[in-house]
Parts: sequence; structure tokens; C-alpha cells
Amino acid sequence: MQLSLFTALALLVLTAAGFLLGRRRALAAGQGRAAGLHSLPDYYGYYVAMWTGAPALVLLALYGLFGGMLVNTLALAELERSAEPLGARYESVLEIDPAHAGLRAERDQAEAGRLAAREYADAMFTQHGAESPQMAEAMTDVDGWIAEGERVEAELETRESQLLSQILGAAPDSPQGLAARAGLEYAQLPIERRQLFISDIRALAFGEGMASRDTAELRAAAAVFQPYETTIKWTVCLLAFSIAVIGLARAWRRVAPGFRARNRVEGAISFLLMLSSAIAILTTLGIVMSLLFEAIRFFAAIDWRVHEFLFGTQWSPQIAIRADQIGQSGAFGAVPLFVGTGLITLIAMAVAVPVGLFAAIYLSEYASPGVRAWAKPVLEILAGIPTVVYGFFALLTVGPFLRDFAMLLGYEDAVTQSALSAGLVMGVMIIPFVSSLSDDVINAVPQTLRDGAYAMGATKSEAVRQVVLPAALPGIVGAVLLAVSRAVGETMIVVMAAGQAANLTANPLESVTTITVQIVTLLTGDQEFNSAKTLSAFALGLVLFVMTLMLNIVALRVVQKYREKYD
Amino acid sequence: MTDAPASSAIREAVSQRLAKRHRAEKRFRAYGVGAIALAVIFLAILLGSIGFQSLGAFTMNTLTLPVTINERQADPRGDGTEESLRRGNYNAIIQDGLRAQFPSVDDRAELRDLFGLYNGVNSASLMRKVVANPSLVGGTTDFTLPLSDDVDLYLKGITVSERFAGRQGALDVVVSDQTVRLESAEPAFADFLTVMRDELIRRADEAAANASRLESAAGAAATRDEREALLSQSRRQAALSVSLRERAEAQGDVVLGTDTPALFLQAEGGVIQVRSVSRDGRIAVGETLLPLQAEGPITAWTEWAVETPSNARRISDRRMVYARALEDRDMVRSGFNTILFTNADSRAPELAGVLGAMIGSILTMLVTMVLAVPIGVGTAIYLEEFAPKNRLTNFIEVNINNLAAVPSIVFGLLGLAIFINLFGLPRSAPLVGGMVLALMTLPTVIISSRAALRAVPPSIREAALGVGASRTQAVFHHVLPLAMPGILTGSIIGLAQALGETAPLLMIGMVAFIADPPTLGLSGFLEPSTVMPVQIYLWSGAAERAFEMRTAAAIITLLSLMIMFNAAAIYLRRRFERRW
Amino acid sequence: MADDTNTSANGRTVYHANRHAHPVKVAAAGVDVSYGDKQALHGVTLDIPDRAVTAFIGPSGCGKSTFLRCINRMNDTIETARVSGSITIDGEEVNDRGVDPVILRARVGMVFQKPNPFPKSIYDNVAYGPRIHGLSNSRDELDSIVENSLKKAGLWAEVSDRLHTPGTALSGGQQQRLVIARAIAVNPEVILMDEPCSALDPIATAKIEELIDELRENYCLIIVTHSMAQAARVSQMTAFFHLGHLVEYGPTEEIFTNPTDRRTQDYITGRFG
Repeated sequence: MQLSLFTALALLVLTAAGFLLGRRRALAAGQGRAAGLHSLPDYYGYYVAMWTGAPALVLLALYGLFGGMLVNTLALAELERSAEPLGARYESVLEIDPAHAGLRAERDQAEAGRLAAREYADAMFTQHGAESPQMAEAMTDVDGWIAEGERVEAELETRESQLLSQILGAAPDSPQGLAARAGLEYAQLPIERRQLFISDIRALAFGEGMASRDTAELRAAAAVFQPYETTIKWTVCLLAFSIAVIGLARAWRRVAPGFRARNRVEGAISFLLMLSSAIAILTTLGIVMSLLFEAIRFFAAIDWRVHEFLFGTQWSPQIAIRADQIGQSGAFGAVPLFVGTGLITLIAMAVAVPVGLFAAIYLSEYASPGVRAWAKPVLEILAGIPTVVYGFFALLTVGPFLRDFAMLLGYEDAVTQSALSAGLVMGVMIIPFVSSLSDDVINAVPQTLRDGAYAMGATKSEAVRQVVLPAALPGIVGAVLLAVSRAVGETMIVVMAAGQAANLTANPLESVTTITVQIVTLLTGDQEFNSAKTLSAFALGLVLFVMTLMLNIVALRVVQKYREKYD
Repeated sequence: MTDAPASSAIREAVSQRLAKRHRAEKRFRAYGVGAIALAVIFLAILLGSIGFQSLGAFTMNTLTLPVTINERQADPRGDGTEESLRRGNYNAIIQDGLRAQFPSVDDRAELRDLFGLYNGVNSASLMRKVVANPSLVGGTTDFTLPLSDDVDLYLKGITVSERFAGRQGALDVVVSDQTVRLESAEPAFADFLTVMRDELIRRADEAAANASRLESAAGAAATRDEREALLSQSRRQAALSVSLRERAEAQGDVVLGTDTPALFLQAEGGVIQVRSVSRDGRIAVGETLLPLQAEGPITAWTEWAVETPSNARRISDRRMVYARALEDRDMVRSGFNTILFTNADSRAPELAGVLGAMIGSILTMLVTMVLAVPIGVGTAIYLEEFAPKNRLTNFIEVNINNLAAVPSIVFGLLGLAIFINLFGLPRSAPLVGGMVLALMTLPTVIISSRAALRAVPPSIREAALGVGASRTQAVFHHVLPLAMPGILTGSIIGLAQALGETAPLLMIGMVAFIADPPTLGLSGFLEPSTVMPVQIYLWSGAAERAFEMRTAAAIITLLSLMIMFNAAAIYLRRRFERRW
Repeated sequence: MADDTNTSANGRTVYHANRHAHPVKVAAAGVDVSYGDKQALHGVTLDIPDRAVTAFIGPSGCGKSTFLRCINRMNDTIETARVSGSITIDGEEVNDRGVDPVILRARVGMVFQKPNPFPKSIYDNVAYGPRIHGLSNSRDELDSIVENSLKKAGLWAEVSDRLHTPGTALSGGQQQRLVIARAIAVNPEVILMDEPCSALDPIATAKIEELIDELRENYCLIIVTHSMAQAARVSQMTAFFHLGHLVEYGPTEEIFTNPTDRRTQDYITGRFG
């Protein structure tokens, strides 16, 4: 870290020097007068500075982003190489160990049994249907074989870890031996736990954060990491420095009175500006790629039963998915989430659309400037309150109030976390959104249309209802669609106030769960990045993204068409 | 064609409908007023309820306790080095200090109640105090520590309802082995008996009401099982109501238990808890919690009736007595809750503060600002001033508008998949949080910057180009400075939004319990931390009442910060607003 | 001015070039209008005859449109506008508190500079006034009102086969005639036209002018125009406004041939404008 910081500082100094040198050379070439030069002297300075600093700094930035990864890859490769003899010994021990061989045979047997039972069950399914007793019996059989398979698998793992620790214990305590042990341990780790292993090594080697454990093996591995880090760091720093010097020299030589330095510098600036606008595209690309990639992994983990995910009615991701689930009721049936999302959105819209629309109409058509002066800020404050505050309010004030109210009306099963309280509060949150969008839309209706209506003797409300609103309708529809997309994607209010229970219900007084709630639930707490459970969050995220994207595209298109009409 | 009669017929027809039309007009207008009123009322309720809930958290009760820092406990190695001092048993020192205040307390259960007045974590701050000033060892010093949340809320009068009444008269005190018998010629305890009876009858009525409500609900139940369940609940409530009423009306001694109000008697520097009272109110039997300083009959005492039964409150009878005793000795002070702003998160509500979250927010916002503002403004300049009007530009524009409406949680998923899993950046770090929020804020900054740039009249550009400036010079020398106020305002509003954002940060693990505030410096960007809105989310899930109040207080703090941000935006807008 | 008079409701008479007297329909006395701090009209007093076309001419910002908008109280819709003085229609004060602008506007139709058909069908545009004012009791009655109005506006032949297509799909001139049809559908007594041809091509303008001439037989028409040629072609009376003052008012022929005020003369001869 210190070295690269020092290099960066040195580069900055060099860049400043480049500026001064370039400027001086330009002035000298122009005999001290700027008039003889194509560009102002400063531009020559910028030009030289640019070629001094930019490439080297880009190199350093690349090192910052990918250097760690490079070191990890190289060092881990070495670790694994040094573990090869140990690994070979382990493989051979596995081969000859009688207990292990027996378990392997058992596993094959269980697998064969499962396949046979499965085949039988499929036959029963086609002959007697899903609800038949034959089918149930066959499925019990399948379940039995699966349980057997799992048992054998667990025993195999135990035996393997016993043998592994024997092998590891037999390796010498020399640095090479320790490193080999670390390498074997790493090779045997399941993929999702490798990241932690690496970060522990890095913590010990370079003091990045805290190591979760500190063993001799890890220290030996850290010792393998260190030289790679040092070599790569020095190489990069020297390379960066020499690039800077070469860049300075070359650019400096090009400085001449006729040289179009300003155009070069401006070209670089517009390139930078273009680059920054590419970030927006990269962001979208990043979202799409990451969601797609992880969602595909999820669908692969559930054997591509996408329809089960989209149309299944049972959501219980906490239960590990079984290899042999059949029928429509998989544990990853997202319909309850869609219904919950829809229910809450509906309630929110029932609050936000009328109130927001009337507020907008009142503010744009009726309110005196005095009223506008305080009513608009009130709406802006409502819009500016963080959603977590709305969530707290829904959880502690609105939820209990609605529950007590429902109980007073004789509804005994009322709960604090209900679709109604989340929906109501979300509706209030969206009021300013609807009202400010509608306000814009209503104001875009040309005054001549209003004048036309008034001149016919229409009252204000008639002009609004019969002329302004119909004229503004497409825009208002667009605004409502945007509000729906907002409600669908809102997270904190529902996380705090709607509950976690995946009930498939249309009853607003029950707890429901939404897409966003489940994403949060699945991704907070312990993550095993390979389990279908965690990955399903990305599939949900993909659904959410596609839903909101479609709403947004339609809404923005509608609003844009509307604006063009009156512009 | 004669118009006059037709005209007057029309006027007739118009007038006929006029009243109706004007009513419709009024109604329509009323809907508008109603909508605005609804929004205003809701805002008032929201801010009012949160403000009210937060009140209790802005003050705290602290105990100033004289403690003796004896060498044996504070300096176990006896060499006075810092290392030795750090190993001292400071909790024992505080406990001894408390025992010194209540010499009569020696029973294990009593001690548990006494030591529960504070949280053991406080011993660390006594340790720091001693380490900072080793000369304290061997002497006695005043140590100030916050009382535990139950005691704090009790002293604030939030969780327990109680009444104190001064009494005069003659009361015989007969102390036997375990019990104390109080006798009076007058019905000295009659008032309390009324309180007790009223309370029992109130609860009996409540149970009876519940029973009838459940019964009617059972009548409307859809299934038989449901009806059975409701009926059995109803029967239980009815039985409870009957038994409560019986207790209220019963003859014989009134026994005080965990489900009844409690009665204490303060006299002569001691406290007696009454366990039973005779029906005529003349004789009470109880036990001594704190010994009376004088023997024989007493002539003046304070009747201390606690209406909240002990099974309905978290603080025990004895702990209340100790707390009040310390308060009477002037050792408890109520003051502004500085801990809320000087501590990071803690499992103990009275020691939890928002400092860690605030520093986390500052670091995160710094990253967001450094990334979102230059990139956003750069994009806006490119699109508004340089970009050729082609399909790519159009695509970028559509893209940005869509990004503005992508749910924030999706940005969290992006951060998790790309920044953490792909680039291997640390979880929970302000750097990653700031990057995610920057991507989220970018569209806001771009859109408002573009609007600001567009508001600069073309004549300015033309003027600059006319005197021979290059396009870049025209933009950077003339257009950008003029658009700056608008750009700044938009950026500040975007940052304020990011400051209140929670969901994407949950995705990247900024939701952990973090007891140490991150370093307010370069290394802090990679340390695990949390931010204000996430802290609010975390606390809102805690069960303790005190956390509920702290959540509200944290919200008020966050809202104040956001108001400051927005006020800055408004100031900038007013100060530099230009009209063409 | 003594002979050949026809006493109107308020006992005054207006003459025009043909020496045909018409009763006064609209009478203004001392009308002041200000928008915020800015006074736009200064004490305008004039009498406008029935069944004739009165043209308001003058340079931009002279207050002619402002005055026009006072007659049907369209200035009410502008928050900062303050109107004082008296305007009467058939002797009834327009600015009285008791007068409902809704009724007033049913009596006084208005056509604007830019054609502003509602984004509805042609039929619904014309039927709008009768509907809101409840002037028809049946569908047939409404149909006949629409048909008559479109005929009077000279649009029937062009649109009778597509009454339910959007009014906004018509050409500019057609739109303006549609708006006129919409205005006459409630059978108003006065029709105000605020530069009705300024957004139209010459052919459409000619049609509108023809229409105005026909409408003169039944209505009191007041037209604001920028084009002096148009004023000369269609109007019987002309009022010249300048900087918020009514400079000269009289029969069109006289104003154009023999103006008394120097400013009128300058404007008409094109020395400013």
C-alpha cells in the first residue's frame, strides 16, 4: 500500500513537472509570446501533463482493481502445486481405504435404488395420477432412497475428512510441508468457503482486516503469497513510473508552435465526458448481466423448472430443495410473492392515485399562491422522508392501530404486520410522487384549452374534468405506471411492516410477503453463495427488474409522446 | 330567426342547472382540499408520533457512585503498569460501591436486583478512567454511569404508573423474624384498598367485554373448528372475569401478588413492601426491603402505590426501591443523553448510540459524492453539449431515464454480484456502499444537471463561440459556471436521497452489528460499518422499549441531517438563482 | 346625431357608415385593468352595436385583447388581474358580484387566436356547451343543435360524414370554424374573437371572414385584429387602441378614411405598428 501510494504521489509530482515543462517549452518556442503559438501555453502544459499522468495512473488503477486477484491466482496455483504429492497420496488412500470403498458402493446402490424408485413413481404417476395412493407409496419409497443417499453421503464426508486429517497430520512441519497442507486444505474446500480461506490468508499476509483464524498452515500460505505481492507491486510501480517518464519525454518533444495542443486536450476532455456517460450504460449492463448470470445459476440448481418458479404456489426457500420434488408445489413457487406484491401495490395505489391526483389538481388549478407556497413544501417533505422512517411508522403506529381497529370490528386474527398497513403507508409515501408528476402533466396542458372551456361557460371543475384531465390522461397514466413501478420496487416499508409469511391471500389484514422482502430476507445473514436459496434472490431480482423496466419503458414512452403533443 | 326569445330561453335553462353545477364545483374543490389536508395531517401524525416517541431518548438518568479503587481489584499484579490495570476487576469495584450504599442487601436475589441497576459493560469505562489516571488507585472517586434501560425508563415515568402520598397518623410497627406488621387505629390503608378494588374490577370488566366480543365473533365464524376455538377463548375470559370480580368483592385479607398493584411504605429512611392488608384497612403485613432507621411507632410515612402489577413490567419491585433510594440520596441525575451521540451501537440500549452509524454515513456519502457528482455532471455535459444526436445518444438517454426508476434494491444486487463477488471488495464497507449509492444517485444528478445546462440560454454559447472560443471553452468558461447552482442543488438533493437509502446497503452487508465506530480516515472506507438508516432499521427490530425510543431519536437525527442538506440546497438555489 | 335614431335598452344609439342605426349591445365606461403593478387599460369608454362587427385594432400590447377579455370576464382566470369600471350587456352590469361568469360566458362566446378544439370528437366539441349548460333534452335535439351550429359555421359540408373523428385532426382553418361552431352552439348574444385568423393561411382566413360577415346578421361580433385590411373588410365599427388608451372609435369607413387623431393616422398609414 505504501509503495503504491508513494508511486501515485511521485506520478502526481511528475505530472505537475510535465505541465511546467510543456508550458515552458511552448513559451520558448513562441519566443515568450503566446501569439505565435497555435494554442495558449497552458494547453501545451496540459498536453504534456496528460501524457505523463494518465496512462500511468490508469495502470495503477488497474492494479488496484485486479492486482489482488492476480496475486491470489498465482499464489494459489503455487500452493496447489506444492500440495500435489499430498493430494496424490490422499487420492490413493481414498482408493485403498476399505471403509471408504464400502461407503462408495453403498452410495452407488442408493443412487440406483433412487433411480429405480423414481422410474416406478413416474409410471404410477402416469397410470394413477398424482393423488393416487400408489403414487404416494411410490414417493415414500423415493424419499426413503433419498434419505439413504444423504446418510451415506454424510458418512462418506466424515470418513474423507478423517482420512484427510490423517494425511495432513503426517506431513512435515517444515514451511513447505505446512504450505502443502494449506494447499490441500484449499483444494478440498467447497467453492463457497474458498473466499473466506483466501481472505484469511490475505489478512495474515498483508494485514487486510481481521483473520477469522490463525494457524501455522495459514501463516505458511501467507508466506507464499507475500513474494508474489512484492514482485507484482514493484513491477507495476516501476512500469508506471517509466511509462510516465516516456510519456513526458514524447509529449514534450512534440511541443512546437504549430502543434494543436488545445484540440488534443479538448479531445481528451470530451473522451472523458463520453466515458462518464458510458457508466450509465455499464450500470444497466452490470445489472442485467449480474441478475441474468445468477438467475441462470439458480434455474440450473432447480433443474430448469422455470415454470415452477413462476407459477408455483408454495414459497419456502429455507427448506433445502429436494432432488425429486414433483408437481406444481415446489419450495420456490413465487406466486405468493407476486400476489403479495400485487396486493400491497393495489392498496398503495388506491391511496396514492386519488389523493395525489386531487392534490395536483387542487394545487395547479385552484390553490392561491399562498396555499401553494406551503402545500408544495409539505409534499416535498413527504417525498424526502427516508423509506425506513415510513417503515418504522407503519410498524409501530399504523400497524398496531389497524390491528386494534380490526379487532374492535370483530376480526380476531388481526396482526400488526399486515398488507393493509404496509400498503397504506406506502400509498402515503407515493402521494407526492403521483402529485408532482401529475402536476407537471396538468401544467403541460395548454392554457388555450382551459380558456376554450371557460369561454364556453364551463365552471372550473367542468373545465378540469371534461377538458384538462382528458387532455392530460396519457400523461397521468404514465405517472401512475411510474408510481406502480415505484411501489413494486419499494423495499423498506414492506420489509418492516408487511411480514415474512408467504401467504397466498387477498385478505389485506393478513401478513403477506413481497418480492423485495424475500430478496432482503434471503441475502441478509449468512450467505452460501452456491445454494439455490441465495441464488433465488437474484431470480427474484430479475423478475423485479424486468417488471419495473417494462412499466418504466411504457410509462416513459407514454409521457414522452404526451409531451411532444403539446410542445 | 329571432334570437331574443331563444336567448332568454337559454338563460333560463342555464340558470336552472346552475345551482347543481355550483354544488358539483364545491364538491370537486373539497376533494382537492381534502387531498392536501390528508397529506398535511399524515405528515403531522408521522412527525408528531416519531417526535413524541423520541422524547424519552434524548434524556438519560445517570448514577454518580462513589467507588473505592482498591489495589487488589484494580491492579491485580500490583506493579501499577497499564497492562496490570487493564486486567483489573472493575465490575467488582462498581458492585462494591453499590453494596456500600445498601449495607442491608446480602441475599443473592437481592444482589441480582441491585447489580441490575447498570450494565456490566460500564466497567470498561471505569477501567479507561483508571488507566488514564493511575493515581486513582487506592482512593475513592465518583464514577458516573448510565442506569440500565429498565431503570431509566422507570425513573422517566414511562413504563410504570405509580402514586406517592404523604400520610400522617400513628402506625405501630411490629417486626418479627421475616415480616413486619403495621397497625393503625384508623383505616390507614383504605385508600389503597380502593385503588386495588378499582383495578380488579376494571380488569374484570375488560375480561367480560372480551368474552362477549369473542362469543359474537364465534357466532360469525366460518368453520366449526374456528367457532369452537373462539368459544373456548370466550369461556376462559368469562371465568377470569368472574374470579377477578370475586377477588375484588371477597371478605378477609387482601393479598398483594404479582398480578395486583404493589404497595410500599417509605418511612424513617427505610422501605417496607406490603404483602397483605386487612379488609378494614387497619392492619398491613409486609417485609422490610430497606431497614427503617428508627424503631417503634411512626407518625409520618409515604404511601407508595404502584398500579402496574409486577408481571406487567420489566423492572422488579426491589430494583424500583433501590432506584428510588439512590434518587432520594441525590445520586441520580437526569440530563441530556450524550451517549446517543458519543457511542456506537451496543446490545444494551442505554449504551447504544448513533456515532458509528454517523461516521459510516459520512464515509459512504463521501464516496458517493466523489463518484456521482463528477461522473453525473460529466455525463450531463456530454449529452447536453457534445453528443451527436444519434441512436447511441438516444439509447443512453432512455437508459438513464430508466435507471432513475429502477428499484434501489436492484442496485444492491448489482453491488453484491459485481463489487463483492466479482471484484472481491470487502462486505459491509463504506467504499462499496458509496459505490452502490453513487450508481443509484447518478441518474438524479444527470437529469438535474441536464436541466440546469438546458436552462442556460443558447445566446451565451453563441456569444462565446462568436468571439472565437472553442466548444469546450464555451462550455467550461461560460455555460457550466452559470449552470452550477442548478447542478449543485440537484446533486445535493440526490445525495440527500442517498443518505436516507437503506435497501441496497442491506444487500452488501452493511447491516451487521458493529460495536466500534469505523475510523474517520482513509482506512475507514474498508472497515465494516453501518449507516444511519440501516441503524434505524436494526434498532426498530429490537424488542426493548428503550430501543424503540432510540430508533425514534435516531430518525429525528437523520431527518435533521437531511433538513440541513435540503436547506443548503434551497439556500444555494435562492442565492444564485438567475432568471433569463 | 339627432335624426334616425333607434333607442336601445339604455337609451343610446350607435351609428355606422351605412347610417343604419343599431341598438347598443355592449357598453363600457371607464374600464381600468391592471396586471399586478402594471396598468394595461386606462379608462376605456365605448358603446358597441348589436348585429354588427366591431373591430379593435392597435399595435401589440395596446390593450385590445385585454379589453376583449373583460367583456366575458376571462380576466378572472388570471390571478393578478384587477378590473374596475363598468361594462354592461343589454344594460346588465357584467362586473357585478351577483353575475355568475358561467351564465355570462354562455351569453358571450369567445374564439381565440390559436384554434383550440378540445381533444375530443368534432361532435363532442360542438355539443360541449349545450351539454354543460343542459340545453338539450334529448339526443335528437342535441344532434340538431350540433348540425345547425356546424352549418352556421360553414363546416357541416366538410365534416358531416366524420363527426366522431377527433377535432384536433382537422386543418387549422377547419379547427377555427369548429371552434366558432362550438361557440355558437349555445346561441350566444355576443361573440368575441381574439385575432381569429392570425394562425391561418389566406384561404382559410377568407373563409372565416366570410363567416363573420354572415354571423353579423344574428350576433353582436367583436373582433380583435392585427390586420387593418381585415378590419376594413369585415367590420362596421372600428376602435383604435394605443398604449392602453382608446384613441379613436367610430364607423370603420371614417376611421380609415378620415381619422381625427394623429396616432390613428400614423398607425393606419403604417408609420408604426
